[in-house]
Amino acid sequence: MAKKKIEADMSKKKKKKKSTKKFLSASNAISMKSKKDNSSSNSNPFETIWSRRKFDILGKKRKGEERRIGLARSLSIQKRRKTLLKEYEQSGKSSVFMDKRIGEQNEALGEFDKAILRFQRERQSKLSKKSKFDLSDGEEEDFSAITRRDDFEDEMPLDDEDDDVVVNETEKNASIFNAANNPLESSLLEEDENKHKTKKQVMEEIILKSKFYKAQKVRDKEEDQHLLEQLDKDFTSLAESEALLSLTQPSKINSLKALLNKSNTKESEGFSALANRESSKQEQPDAYDRLVKEMVLDMRARPSDRIKTPEEIAQEERERLEQLEEERQKRMLEVDDSDDEDSEGGDDFNRPQPRKFKSVSGDDLGDSFSVGDELPKKRGWVDEILGSKVVGNLRNENADSSEDAESDHNDDDQDEDSEKDNIDEEGSSDDGENEEISGDVDGDMGNMLSMEDWEQSDDDDASNDFEEDEAIEEKIPRKVKDDNIKKIKIEKKDSPNARERNASRKTHPSKEGSLPFVIEAPNSLEELFLLLNNRSDAEVIEAINRIRAYNAIRLAAENRKKMQVFYGVLLQYFAVLANQKPLNFRLMNLLVKPLMEMSVETPYFAAICARQRILRIRTQFCEDIKNSEKSSWPSLKTLFLFRLWSMIFPCSDFRHVVMTPAILLMCEYLMRCPIISGRDIAVGSFLCNMVLSVTMQSRKFCPEALIFLQTLLMSVSETESVLHENSQWYYFTEIKILKPWLHIRGPVDDIDPLDFLLVMDMPADSLYFSSDSFRASVLVCVVETLRGFVNIYGELSSFPETFLPISTLMHKLVKQESIPDLLRDKMTDVAELIQKKVNEHQMLRRPLQMRKQKPMPIKLLNPKFEENFVKGRDYDPDRERAERKKLKKLIKSEAKGAARELRKDNYFLFEEKEKARSLLEDERAEKYGKALAFLQEQEHAFKSGQLGKVLLNLSRSFRSQQQCAPSLM
Amino acid sequence: MVRPYAVKGRKRKKREVEVEEEEEEEEQSAEETHEEEEDEKTEIEEVEGEGKPDEASFELPGIPILPSNKKPKAGVIFVLERASLEVAKVGKTYQILNSDDHSNFLRKHNRNPADYRPDIVHQALLAILDSPLNKAGRLRALYVKTEKGVLFEVKPHVRMPRTFKRFCGVMLQLLQKLSITATSKREKLLRVIKNPVTRHLPVNSRKIGFSYSSEKLVQLRDYVAAASDDVDLVFVVGAMAHGKIDKEYTDDFISVSGYPLSAACCIGRICNALEEKWKIL
Repeated sequence: MAKKKIEADMSKKKKKKKSTKKFLSASNAISMKSKKDNSSSNSNPFETIWSRRKFDILGKKRKGEERRIGLARSLSIQKRRKTLLKEYEQSGKSSVFMDKRIGEQNEALGEFDKAILRFQRERQSKLSKKSKFDLSDGEEEDFSAITRRDDFEDEMPLDDEDDDVVVNETEKNASIFNAANNPLESSLLEEDENKHKTKKQVMEEIILKSKFYKAQKVRDKEEDQHLLEQLDKDFTSLAESEALLSLTQPSKINSLKALLNKSNTKESEGFSALANRESSKQEQPDAYDRLVKEMVLDMRARPSDRIKTPEEIAQEERERLEQLEEERQKRMLEVDDSDDEDSEGGDDFNRPQPRKFKSVSGDDLGDSFSVGDELPKKRGWVDEILGSKVVGNLRNENADSSEDAESDHNDDDQDEDSEKDNIDEEGSSDDGENEEISGDVDGDMGNMLSMEDWEQSDDDDASNDFEEDEAIEEKIPRKVKDDNIKKIKIEKKDSPNARERNASRKTHPSKEGSLPFVIEAPNSLEELFLLLNNRSDAEVIEAINRIRAYNAIRLAAENRKKMQVFYGVLLQYFAVLANQKPLNFRLMNLLVKPLMEMSVETPYFAAICARQRILRIRTQFCEDIKNSEKSSWPSLKTLFLFRLWSMIFPCSDFRHVVMTPAILLMCEYLMRCPIISGRDIAVGSFLCNMVLSVTMQSRKFCPEALIFLQTLLMSVSETESVLHENSQWYYFTEIKILKPWLHIRGPVDDIDPLDFLLVMDMPADSLYFSSDSFRASVLVCVVETLRGFVNIYGELSSFPETFLPISTLMHKLVKQESIPDLLRDKMTDVAELIQKKVNEHQMLRRPLQMRKQKPMPIKLLNPKFEENFVKGRDYDPDRERAERKKLKKLIKSEAKGAARELRKDNYFLFEEKEKARSLLEDERAEKYGKALAFLQEQEHAFKSGQLGKVLLNLSRSFRSQQQCAPSLM
Repeated sequence: MVRPYAVKGRKRKKREVEVEEEEEEEEQSAEETHEEEEDEKTEIEEVEGEGKPDEASFELPGIPILPSNKKPKAGVIFVLERASLEVAKVGKTYQILNSDDHSNFLRKHNRNPADYRPDIVHQALLAILDSPLNKAGRLRALYVKTEKGVLFEVKPHVRMPRTFKRFCGVMLQLLQKLSITATSKREKLLRVIKNPVTRHLPVNSRKIGFSYSSEKLVQLRDYVAAASDDVDLVFVVGAMAHGKIDKEYTDDFISVSGYPLSAACCIGRICNALEEKWKIL
């Protein structure tokens, strides 16, 4: 045992030594300690157990993570033993033994360390000021002296050895210091050093530097040249552009051009002779320089006139017109006769040509002619369909020919009405000169009023209201009208008379003189008639244009009012024209252009006018329809108005203030009006055509037009009631009396296009309507319209249902023998077209099926996770809450730890107390046993009879026991 | 511990119970209508005096409001075995190991990079969760067991992240926090559960393991069609790159193709077969 102990001690000492050595290095102290503890308390097997790792995570450092629970426990017990146990032991004591020796408190120190510490303390106390005055022992002084001397001796040899090196170093330092102070010197120093080293290198450097400078110079030169070239180029481009030319005087332009050429040629020479060029430039005083000098003397460029505003343009136009008017007046005064005669003669020989010429030559305003040419084309396509039968020519020719016819009339009637003409001449000439409405205007006034009357009697009383709105002055002339009523009636009765009057009006302008340039906007229809009476179509347009130019809205605010009134008047004039029996179709065409333009200028007023008109037409229509005998189909005027509006206003709008009611009204006509005569059929088909044109763009569905067309087709067949009762349109078509209106009985040779105007002119009971040719041409028109509708409605999903009955009907009709070939072809064509489209639709159609109920998928939820999740971090968005939670957690863990510590302390104390108690117990038991044993022995001796003998021994032993007892107790 | 956040609305269990009650009521009312149809008018008047007369009177006779699904439909359970989802500390952050990004790291730690394929799990999960089978609500449960032995449950109504990176993020958080909640609700969509997986499987279930190595090669359509409807089918599919699943707890061990299939493909086949069987389009 002893040997072992010694060995253990030895090993301990060795380790201590090691530890002391390592402690000085102060690294791995903890690990060493643990090692030491480990070796010292090897006996406890629990300390070898490591804590188990739950998850072995790759790449995780094993720092502190591997805790040894057993070891920790034993360590904590040791700690308690040193602290808690001591305190506990002290608690019962009043005085404390304090060990204040140096180094005793520190566990880590070994004996040697402690000794060193103590020694240090001793030295310090000696070195302190107080100790100076202490009387010291000799030994110690010697010691100190020795040490000092040692130090000195140590230093000395060092100095001797390193002397040279130190000197060198100081020198170097000095040089560096210098260099830092002034670089010049340093450079010099360096150069010196260089010189010291090699002269070759220096020379090379110098050469290099000179080369570098040369190269740089060359580069600079090149750059300059480039810049010059660039500038030259820019200048040439500038000079070539017109901007500079316009700025410079023409005289200088030449020199500039010369310069340009020169530069160009130079450029063409190429860049090879760049240097030469430079030299030449330097020598001669440059053309460019000269030019610059000259330009300095030039006048500065002035700003050109600014672009005129529309108002100014209008103003200028007005001024020009005024001036022209003045000139005209002058001319009229001076050379009146010759002018008149000239114009007269011209008119007599060839009327249309000079008019044309005039309109062409007529200044800016003369563009009306081109308008006139354009418009017929615009309207042309309607007419192509309803193309004239009588004239049977192209549209433009048609107008001309009608003109011709009229002029013929003129020629014929010239003689007969010479007297009347004369009268008119007088009146009109007065008019033309004075430009005032004089009271004694008999003929013209009468004419005009008769016109008006005629209109009123013809279609609507409501127009009166409208006129009242527009012009109140009308009432006054109405009185005049009453006076002249007889004359009017005479004129009205015979249509040839009216024609004559027309013709006479045509002749008037020639006699009357040219149109005034400045025309005030007429306030009423009378004024307009006064102005336009007896004027040619071109002049009428000219007049309107001049009125518009003179009273342009842009000129003055009050002009708007004027123009609005004028627009109303013009619209009325248009309506009146439409009602004239020999229709002046050309003039109407010409009127469309100004009307359109003016309605663009005053769109709101135009819309109001149109709406009022529509309202009136509708009320009129409502009244008409009650009367079953009278034809309620729209008059030619209404049709023309519809057409006009469809041109003025956009048809494709989904909802428009004018076009929507207009379309509705058209459809209503088609729906409600019974077909009484052949004329009605023509009107209806025309309406259908118009509906087609209106709905062409917007592709609105108008079932009325289709129904009408179908009924027309149905009326082709001979049997009267072809319509099935189950047909969806049965109820609608019932209204229309189904007669075989269009049944073609005999063979038709050739189908002429229908002239709508002519048809309208004819009386309702004309024989022409029952002729086969009329029927055929109407049918052609119907089929063509139908084709248009098929093309428009081809996209509709209900197309097959809408058009299939029509196609079947047509197939049926085609089988009739009497139908001409052309018509048959067309019909089959359209029927095939319908069939084709129907097939397409039916291809795309899908059978009806129950609406599929989509199965409801389960509702999905997104998982919540963080981009870079770090364990232990709180991802609560509320920062404060997270912080609070963290603190709470900390408190809780701390509290738990504290409780745990306290619990463990208590266990420890309890254990200690228990140990002490058990020790006491044991002792007591032992003592008790001993006493008991003594007594038993005594008892035994007493009984055995050895009392006297044993008594001595016994008393001794008892005494000795008693002596021992207090120490034990 | 109390819940740190207030729970919105009522608890799920209660709600479900109520819904069921409502359904029962409706069924009852439907039955009542049947009865009414049979009975005479006088009786109808009597019925109207009772609890739900109005609704019953408005219904068309013979057409119930809801299709009566008294029998709960048979469901499917998927188990993905040996999923390679391993968390490691790469650099300073924790990451799910995959062969692309961490090949050097894995080599440093003497692992075979080819074994770390979390993308297989991702694909397989997407294949299951995106199938019409799941959309129709026939997927009962989905369990994933990782190579390390961590078992977690995936609720069928999870919308898994489509991108691999985000998937890795979810898995990383799951393996560290042990559960993932929904964004809107407090419901746990993914959570780590106790091993073994058999304790979570229904009692009446048929567990089928899949392996290319199996001798029993079957036509999956016929195989599935043969299975009875009242038994829940559990399909155990491996989500690893190499090797095969253990067939300890599987009742059957089959292979469905002559070729080795990827997990996603195999799952696709299973889903298709089941959709065909149950007529889910």
